[in-house]
Amino acid sequence: VNAQEPIDLNAVVTTPENIRFEYRIAGPFRRLPALIIDLIIRVVTLFVVLIAGSLLGLSLAISGGVSIMLFLIGLFALEWFYGVFFETIWNGQTPGKWLTRIRVISIDGRPINAMQAAIRNFLRLADMFPTMIMSLISMTMNKRFQRLGDLAAGTMVVVTQKAWVPPNIKFEDHRVPLLCEHIPANFRMSITLARAIALYVERRGRLPLVRKHELASYLAKPLFAKLDLQDDTSPDLLVCALYYREFIAKDLFEQSSAMDSARAHPDRLNPEPSIATVSAPAPMPQIEAPPVMSGAGAFSLSSNVEANR
Amino acid sequence: MKISQLLEQRRKGWAELDQMCQRMEGFRFPFRKSGNLVSRFSALYRAACTDLSMADQYQLPPATIEYLHRLVGRAHGQLYRSNQSSAERWLAYCFQIVPQCVFRDVCVKTAFIVFFGLFTLSAILAWREDAFPGFAERILGTAQIDQMEESFSRPLSGNFDQYVMMSGFYIRHNTGIGMQCFSLGPLILPSLCALGYNGVVLGASFGYMTRADVEQGDVFFQFVTAHGVFELTAIALSAAAGLRLGIGLFCTGGLGRLESFRLNAMRAMAILMPSVALFIMAAFTEGFLSPSPLPYFVKAGFAIFSSGLLMYYFVVLGYPTPQSEAALVSNEDYPWRKLGAGNATR
Repeated sequence: VNAQEPIDLNAVVTTPENIRFEYRIAGPFRRLPALIIDLIIRVVTLFVVLIAGSLLGLSLAISGGVSIMLFLIGLFALEWFYGVFFETIWNGQTPGKWLTRIRVISIDGRPINAMQAAIRNFLRLADMFPTMIMSLISMTMNKRFQRLGDLAAGTMVVVTQKAWVPPNIKFEDHRVPLLCEHIPANFRMSITLARAIALYVERRGRLPLVRKHELASYLAKPLFAKLDLQDDTSPDLLVCALYYREFIAKDLFEQSSAMDSARAHPDRLNPEPSIATVSAPAPMPQIEAPPVMSGAGAFSLSSNVEANR
Repeated sequence: MKISQLLEQRRKGWAELDQMCQRMEGFRFPFRKSGNLVSRFSALYRAACTDLSMADQYQLPPATIEYLHRLVGRAHGQLYRSNQSSAERWLAYCFQIVPQCVFRDVCVKTAFIVFFGLFTLSAILAWREDAFPGFAERILGTAQIDQMEESFSRPLSGNFDQYVMMSGFYIRHNTGIGMQCFSLGPLILPSLCALGYNGVVLGASFGYMTRADVEQGDVFFQFVTAHGVFELTAIALSAAAGLRLGIGLFCTGGLGRLESFRLNAMRAMAILMPSVALFIMAAFTEGFLSPSPLPYFVKAGFAIFSSGLLMYYFVVLGYPTPQSEAALVSNEDYPWRKLGAGNATR
């Protein structure tokens, strides 16, 4: 177990396929709406059954005693077995949980069985004691937001919401691969830098120009000297080029890219003076041309290039 | 091969898996009749698993890794769905595991001693008015005694409607109280208090009705004889289940506290189940047989029959044998051992 594990709301599950993946844990404020919805459904069902039962009793001439007994038994069943029933047959979800996109699973990632569903639902009363304080105390005292019933049954509630689909990033701007060519082949970025760059590039389509420039500057400015680029290079362009280099153009399983490229093109190791001319605004005719704007991933000139002229 | 090409290639499979997940998360399980779709789903799932496990080596963008985590999680939840246990397993559980668990449980013994001890004590105190004057009146209150005398002043009679209605009421009311006893178990005190209260009050009622000068006593015993066996056993069992749950929090027997809580919850369920069943049987007896004007020997016969049944279930089926030990061990994830013995085999 890594001591540097981040403090967040993920539970790691190791599957029978020996894959480790993460579930997002549902907190109390995600679970409360589900509880309320279930409560409403129970009350409404009760009234519907009551009305339908009395109508049926009148029309079929069933004696009042039988209908009252059925009603009382239904009340009892709804009180105690609503959650057990649904969580068992519906893959760990009650209607309320289904609507709020959360699900009960065992803490080892397996689906829950009838026994676990019964334990966690029967213990609801202890959790409610007094006004749900017990469940809140219990939830704050463990990593998985388990209430007492969850602790006893060995279950947790996870979010099954659909994930945000990452965009398929393509750079329309031909200067990105061009600038990428001029990044020294022996330049290797740290994992954290690569992650930051990816986070930026995946979101840059939705950012205004000034904001884009500001954010990219934080990432790009410290690299100018290291990459032998001029200060007036567009930071946005540089970040995109780094992204292109790291996540698009790179070969799979390329561990020591610097060494391989060095063997292939020995001259890459000492950067040529032409790099400076590429990043300089004036001499390159491509930069004068208006940027190609097509699609969400289209590249646009950062403001400082014009400002420098 | 470039990373972008790989992503391009895999994206279609992921999208298909995503879509299948969405269909399976709907109201009904859609692939019940189409095996090839299920195998397609599992193939796609395995592919996504592989991609996720290789994500670090491929050095995929972080958002894609995050997406894969969610996708694999959802698909995993659909592939490994909860399924109902077979009828044979339930039967084996009810007739092998449950009586064994109940028979050897210390909490059951404790609860029975507390309940029937207080019951007997309170009954004697209420009965011997000359030695302990005013005991029954103070425990039950004069209002409740008057009400009790009033309700048992007429000979028993009733019609079918009433019987049915009352059995419904007893199911909901009495079983609900039993479940509450269990549910408040982790807090221990409420369970014990409910058990003690029931023992004292019921004992006082029985004792009061046994007095020679209370003429409603005959009708009272006509009423309670038939269902008493089921009902009293059920009360004690439900409290025992709650006690088992609470005890697990601090008598861990060498396990971790949470581990022990979980194990004891499972054992408590084995005690709760017969309790609920007894409550329901008692409710029907109390609804139909007890208030009927049948002769007393029928009701006494039923009481004897029901005690024989319980004896058979809990003692004959529950008596520990090597085979039953093996069944218990295989039923739980943990080796069955006496709690508190603390052998560190696990």
